[in-house]
Amino acid sequence: MNKAKTITKADLARINIIISEYSSQQKWAMIPLLQKIQSEFGFIPPQSVPFIARSLGVFPSQVQGVISFYTQLYTQPRGKKIVRVCRGTACHVRGGKTILKLVKQHLDIEEGETTPDFEYTLETVACIGVCALAPNMVVSDHVHGHMNPKKVEQLFKHQEGEK
Amino acid sequence: MQPITITLDGREVSGYPGTTILELAKESGIDIPTLCHAPQLTSVGACRVCLVEDERNSTLLASCVTPIASGMVINTHSPRVIERRKTIVKLMLASHPDSCLVCDKGNRCQLRQIASDLGIGLVELQRIPQMASIEEVNPFLERDLSKCILCAKCIRACQELVVEGAIDYFQRGFTTIPATLNNLPLENSECTFCGTCVALCPTGALTEKEKIYRGTTQTVVQTTCPFCGCGCSICLEVKDGHVARITPGKERSVHKGTLCVRGSYGCDFIHSPDRLLKPLVKSNGNFEELSWEEALELVGTQFQRIKDESGCDSLAILGSSKCTNEENYLLQRFARSVLGTNNIDNGGRLYNSASCVGLGSSLGFPGTTNYLSGLEQSELILVIGADPSSSAPAVGYAIKRAVKRQGAKLLLIDPRQTKLLMFAHLWVQPEVGTDVALINGLAKVIIDEGLLDEEFVARSTDNFEAFNEGLKKYTLEYVEETTGVSGQQIRAAARLYARASRAAIVYGTGITQHVTGTDSVKALANLALLTGNIGHKRGGVYALQRENNGQGACDMGTLPIFLPGYQSVVDAQARRKFEESWGVSSPAEPGLTALEIMKQAKKEKIKGMYIVGENPALSFPNSRLIIEILASIDFLVVQDMFLTETAKLANVVLPAASFAEKDGTFTNFEGRVQRVQKAIPPLGESLPDWEIILRLADKIGAPMPYSSPQQVMDEIVDTCQLATYSSYEGNGHTEPEAQSLYQAESSSHWGVGRIHGGQFPKGFARFCPVAYVPPTKAKKGYPFTLLTGGIPNHFGTGSRSSRSTRLKKFSPEAFVEICESDARKLAITVGEKVKVISPVGEVTTIAKITDTLRQGMLFMPVSYPETPVNELFDIVLNSETKAPSLKACSVKIEKL
Repeated sequence: MNKAKTITKADLARINIIISEYSSQQKWAMIPLLQKIQSEFGFIPPQSVPFIARSLGVFPSQVQGVISFYTQLYTQPRGKKIVRVCRGTACHVRGGKTILKLVKQHLDIEEGETTPDFEYTLETVACIGVCALAPNMVVSDHVHGHMNPKKVEQLFKHQEGEK
Repeated sequence: MQPITITLDGREVSGYPGTTILELAKESGIDIPTLCHAPQLTSVGACRVCLVEDERNSTLLASCVTPIASGMVINTHSPRVIERRKTIVKLMLASHPDSCLVCDKGNRCQLRQIASDLGIGLVELQRIPQMASIEEVNPFLERDLSKCILCAKCIRACQELVVEGAIDYFQRGFTTIPATLNNLPLENSECTFCGTCVALCPTGALTEKEKIYRGTTQTVVQTTCPFCGCGCSICLEVKDGHVARITPGKERSVHKGTLCVRGSYGCDFIHSPDRLLKPLVKSNGNFEELSWEEALELVGTQFQRIKDESGCDSLAILGSSKCTNEENYLLQRFARSVLGTNNIDNGGRLYNSASCVGLGSSLGFPGTTNYLSGLEQSELILVIGADPSSSAPAVGYAIKRAVKRQGAKLLLIDPRQTKLLMFAHLWVQPEVGTDVALINGLAKVIIDEGLLDEEFVARSTDNFEAFNEGLKKYTLEYVEETTGVSGQQIRAAARLYARASRAAIVYGTGITQHVTGTDSVKALANLALLTGNIGHKRGGVYALQRENNGQGACDMGTLPIFLPGYQSVVDAQARRKFEESWGVSSPAEPGLTALEIMKQAKKEKIKGMYIVGENPALSFPNSRLIIEILASIDFLVVQDMFLTETAKLANVVLPAASFAEKDGTFTNFEGRVQRVQKAIPPLGESLPDWEIILRLADKIGAPMPYSSPQQVMDEIVDTCQLATYSSYEGNGHTEPEAQSLYQAESSSHWGVGRIHGGQFPKGFARFCPVAYVPPTKAKKGYPFTLLTGGIPNHFGTGSRSSRSTRLKKFSPEAFVEICESDARKLAITVGEKVKVISPVGEVTTIAKITDTLRQGMLFMPVSYPETPVNELFDIVLNSETKAPSLKACSVKIEKL
């Protein structure tokens, strides 16, 4: 299961091909390059940072600085489904905090973490704009409104079973 | 450009477009506090403490990043500005720990200074200190990120000045920290511990570790670093007669505010418990202390006896490229006028004589032709046989800055992979010892492709025809076969060098310490002449010096064939000038060079020797034989700070003072003459070398009429005819702002970067055709080529750096580097004890596996006294300079 997520030599070779497409020694190419790598691998393998840096003529620490600055860029593999629990005011009032607690229990991970089988990654968001349906959560771009413990259980039932 | 006029605090002031408000305010004597600003760094406007107000539209501007615009009405201290500034500082203090009392930065903390200037006492904001663990196990610096204000001075210093890029911002918002790649501790990162960031950090986030004193130092003395040939100016901060801390000096022409690990943390050898504090005399194999009076009496009578019994030329002196110019001058005068011999040489013979002779014969001046600032502006830099990152860090920084910031191209020629490779445009990897063939090959390509500067060659050079004729043999095929470099690469390298409008050549001991070193230097000079790259503001030939005063010792005539200022001893007219000044006759016969002295000592022709600040028992080749010779000499006097391997063999050891305890000047590799200033009194009974030499001359009954180094320098200026030397200015020796002696950069003698105002000393330079001589075939059974060299954390033979507690702690023992495939073949693992054996000697050390070497190559550092690498070298001398080969030899390696 984990095999797909460890970076092989072939993966690094592929990353180097992507890098060569962008290696114009121009710093502005960094973010598009990072996005391209991430779109293909789901994350930016830390091993690739020195190669990226060299091709752009910057220091590896600078590339790391950019990656760690943007929330859209990751150096860890992420789950297939991204679970975003809303922690906005309206959802909070309607019990969003409990929903988050339950999701954590069901998935057995903390915020920002990914399940060991790379199925789910748990995140919180400040508001997703459908406060009328509070408390809300989003799973892989699909909005689930009026959340309650039962619904949470239904959503993650199979995950529990696997454990 | 029209100046722009603005109103600054009610005054009309003007500056050129592009000037920032902060700069203009500084010029106008208005003080604006800053935390993230430093003149040598790019401004980022991160701290906002420097904000000012534009009255026209009441905007608040960060003055360090706002250029002046016409009509601005700026208030730097209006109530509104002060109020905002206070709030910003209070916010910083609110997230700062309450540890000022125990913080090592103490009163040097800029945050604290600014807070007290603004009258901030207790902060009414809720305090949310950001907790962070104090980290690092390295012995040099301590990072306490809870005190970090994210000004990014350290990050910019690392990226812009030192160009190492070890750290950058990591994460964002409240969790931001300056971090290494993967947030590893510094010792596991690219960090070289140069200390530049520590010197710049405005708070206690970065502080020095393991120093002698805490708290505020009393005096600051500006002097010159005693390690490599760069000659960085350093400030010694002194408390209670102890050098407590070293920071980059204010004279920035060389170092631009940076130092290296040796400069920042290596000088604790000054207070090493190993320092010699009293003269020693050997009786029955043991050293006994005695008074100066007795010691000098003994030395004086013995020298006199040998002189009377066996003649003047049975005495010899070995001077030091670590001592000041004044001391070297006195020493050669002592040899010539007191002892009456020209048998005087200095340690620079080992690494510098190839430059002296090579450049001397082709350019007419034996040294670097340009300044470091010129190197930084070159379009192409050819680095050959040099690893500036360890041998001359300030030059390494300049090269990296040129590449990163000025867009220069770097052409690297080295059989070994050095740290500069990351910055190289092209890396040529010739076989060891084939430099002459390669450089001749480059010259031939340049001529064949018509890339030479015909006008320069015709106007300023001589002997081109003979040179061109000599190159016939060096066809691409021949060079390819000899050097192992592909023809394509040779052509590419030649074009790269010749097409750059201003190209510089930097070379080091990887050229000069080979047996063919002199030829290689001539070949490099030919290359520069061919393309007209000498005598301009940029480009030139840079001969790196291994030691702080390698250039000065030669300039001062601590040489067997030259009087001071390279005036030949056989030239009666030159001699007469010195004889008139000294009032005694001086010998006309050229003396013996360092290794010839040893050879004659072996034959018992040299009976007395006076070694000042040198350690031939380690630094000379075949050190086992040298030790035997020194031990058998009739009377050996060694003058040193420590009981070195050489001093242990002496009959009398005279305790010398360190650089911090004396006045004088050092001449760096550029030819820049810089002041050395006394910061503390000599330790114990030790004395500065110049004083010992004077006292000794007194004892022998031939006193030399000087009472201070200043008087010696005045005579040097008179007699040497060297444009770069001038008298000391003023007489304040302890003033931190004391002017550097150096003026030549602005004076007309050398012009700005043009040797002799664009003219060669003889009016023209001379092509010196050189032929490639293949290295002697390795003896059977010694399949490896051992390269030796310096490492960043130690220096020379290690007599000082191994006594610097922090350097010693960080890199405690020697090693031999071997490539992975060779290690696998011999089943050698990392850290395993191995024996490196050559036909003349063997050393035991530990193995280190590296990817910087090719198969069949080994590398060992020379700077560990316990592992005397030079024992492996046989004495092979260059026929012209009599300099020994100390770079490469054939060895085998065995598991223990």
